[in-house]
Amino acid sequence: MFVIKGVPASPGVAIGPALLLPSADFAITNQYVDATQIKHEILQFTGALEKTLKDLDGFEQKLRDTLGPEYANLMSMHKMILQDPMLKDATLRKIKQEHMSAQAAIFFTLKELAASFEKIEDNFFKERRNDIFDVGKRLVNHLSGGKESFWSSIQTPSVLIARDLYPSDTLNLKEHQVIAFCTDQGGKTSHTALLAQSMRIPAVVGLYNAFRQIKNGDTVIADGENGLLILNPDRYTLARYKKIQKEIKKAESLLKTINHLPTVTADGRNVQLMVNFDPRTDSKEDRKLITDGLGLMRTEFLFMNTPKPPTEEEQYQAYLAIAKRFDMRPVIIRLADLGADKLPDFPLDEFDKDNNPFMGCRGIRLFLKNPELMHTQLRALVRTACEVPAQIKIMVPMVSSVEEMRHVRAALDKALAEFEQEGKRPLNKVSLGAMIEVPSAAIALDGMIADMDFISIGTNDLIQYLVAVDRVNPEVAHMYDPCHPAVLRTIHQIIQTAHQRRKTVSICGEIASDEKMIPMLLGLGTDILSVPPRMFLRVKNRIRNLNFEACADAAQAALLAGNSEDIRKLIEQNQDEDS
Amino acid sequence: MIKQDIKISNRLGLHARPAALLVQTAGQFTCDIKIIKDQIEVNAKSIMGVMMLAAEYGSTLQIQCDGSDEQQAMAALADLFKNKFNEEF
Repeated sequence: MFVIKGVPASPGVAIGPALLLPSADFAITNQYVDATQIKHEILQFTGALEKTLKDLDGFEQKLRDTLGPEYANLMSMHKMILQDPMLKDATLRKIKQEHMSAQAAIFFTLKELAASFEKIEDNFFKERRNDIFDVGKRLVNHLSGGKESFWSSIQTPSVLIARDLYPSDTLNLKEHQVIAFCTDQGGKTSHTALLAQSMRIPAVVGLYNAFRQIKNGDTVIADGENGLLILNPDRYTLARYKKIQKEIKKAESLLKTINHLPTVTADGRNVQLMVNFDPRTDSKEDRKLITDGLGLMRTEFLFMNTPKPPTEEEQYQAYLAIAKRFDMRPVIIRLADLGADKLPDFPLDEFDKDNNPFMGCRGIRLFLKNPELMHTQLRALVRTACEVPAQIKIMVPMVSSVEEMRHVRAALDKALAEFEQEGKRPLNKVSLGAMIEVPSAAIALDGMIADMDFISIGTNDLIQYLVAVDRVNPEVAHMYDPCHPAVLRTIHQIIQTAHQRRKTVSICGEIASDEKMIPMLLGLGTDILSVPPRMFLRVKNRIRNLNFEACADAAQAALLAGNSEDIRKLIEQNQDEDS
Repeated sequence: MIKQDIKISNRLGLHARPAALLVQTAGQFTCDIKIIKDQIEVNAKSIMGVMMLAAEYGSTLQIQCDGSDEQQAMAALADLFKNKFNEEF
C-alpha cells in the first residue's frame, strides 16, 4: 500500500482499477517495413490524416456546443498543424526513402518538429510542442485501421490517472466509464476541478508524479475528501473506505432534504450562502440548489483562447443568461482578473512579460492600462442591469489603493451616463465593490471603504500574499496556512472595518467550504459565504449544526493565539463540542 | 518570381494568431510562397514553419512568391503586415 498526497478537487470516494491516460510518448510497435509494404503505409498515413481531420471538425463542433467558442478555438490550431505541409512531406519522405512504418515516421517527424520548437526562447512557442503531440496522438490512434480508440476501449468503471487533462479529454470523461480522476497537475480552481465537481465524480489533483508510480489495472482509491490517492490498498484500508463510501452516499441523500431549509445556525444566526458560479459547468443538479445568490462569477474565461477580446454583445449575452438564472438575487460579477497565470492570446497594451507575474500587472492594474477592455466589460454589465431586475454587483480584483477604486467608479459612471443618454437606466442599482486580496488593501481598508459598496475577501490570494507562499511551488506549498494567526487577524480587521461602515463582507475562497474553517469565519462575523455548487449543501448542513455563540468565543480566543498550532487546537476543541 | 522585404510592425511579432492568419492567407494561392529570415527559409503555407521563425517586432522578413498568382499573393500578404494583422485596436 502506498499513499500519495494531493489536493482535493471534487469530493467523494471512488475505488477501482487505475487507467492511465496515454501520454505523448507513444510506443512504436514496428519501426521499419518491407519495401512491398510502402504503398500500404502511405495509404495508412493519408487515411489517418483524413480521419483525424474529421475528428477535429467534430470536436470543434462539440466543444463549441458544450464549452463555448473559446475552447473551440483551441482546435483550429490543431487543424492547421495537421494540415501542415511540413508534417506531411517529412512523414512521407521517411516512409518512402527510409522504409519506416507510418507509425514510426509520424513519431520521428513529430519529435524533430517538437525539438526545433524547444530551441525557441519563448514559452509560448515551447508550449506549442504539446499541441503537436496532441495531434500526433490522434493520428497514431487512427493508424491501426479504425481500431477502437483509447476511450471506447474502457470496459470497466475505472479511475483515470493522467499527468494533466486537456479540454478535449474531459469531454470523453463524460461519455465513458470514468468514476474518478487523479492528475499530477492542477489546483482546486483549475478547469479540471470544476469539471469533476459538475460531473459529481471525485477528483484529486496536484499529485506531482503519481502518474509514474501507477500501472494500468492497479487497484486505487481516489479520496476526493482528503486529497489522497491510495495505491494497492490493504484489506483493512479497503474495508474502511467501502464503509466511508456508504456513509457519504447516505449523507448526500440526506443533504438533499435540507435544500429548502434556511441557512441559519442552531442558535438562530442567519448566514447568507451563495454559490461561486461557472456557466461552463452548470448542471441540472446545481440548478436545483436554493441559494441566496451568486457570490463570485469569474469572467476570465470569456477572454481566454480567443484571438480578440470579447465584444460587448458577446459579454452581454453571457451576463444576461446568468442574471436570468439568478432572477432577482444578487449576482456578483468580478471584472476580468487577467495577468499572472491568465494571459489571453490577444495582445494587451503596455504588457511585457512579468518576471514576477503575481506581483505584476494583473487584475485591475492591467485593466487600468487597457481602459477599452474595462469600458467594454462595464458597458456589457450595465446593459444587463438595464434589461433585467437582477442585483448586479461589480467586483474589482487586486485593488491595492483608493485611486484604483476611484478610477473604476469614474469608468462605471461613464458607462451609466452613456446608457442614460439612450434613455436606459438599470432596473436595480448597480453596485461596485472590491475583492480584498492584497494585504495593503486589507490593512488600510478604512481609508478606501467609502468608495466601496461591498467587500468580498478573496482568501486564496490574500493568504498567498500574507504568508508570501506560492501555492503551486511544491517546495513551499506546505507553508500555505489558512490557520496562520496573521490570516485570521487580517480577516477580523477587514470585517470590523466594514461593519463599522455598515457594509457586508463575503468570503469566496476555498476556506469558505472548508468544514474546519467555517466556524472561525462565522465567529469572526462573516455575513456571506460563497462556495462551489458541489459544496453548497455540505456547507449549509455544517452551518445549521453550528452554534454561533460558541463560534464567536472560539474566534475571539483564536485572535489571541500566537501560532497556527494553538488555532488548530481551538478548531478541534470546538469541533468536539459540536459532535 | 517576385520578392519583397517586409518589416514586422505589430508589437508581439509573428505569434500564434498572426502566424495562423498568414498561413491561411498563403494557402489561398497556388504559387509557392517562401519566407526567409536570417538565412532560414520556410514554406509560408506551413504553420509550424512560420512559427519556427519566431519573428519578433522590428525584424525584417523576405517574402518570395513564385507562380501564376504571385502578384495577388504578394499583395494580400503585404496587406496583412501593413494592417498589423488587425491586432492593434
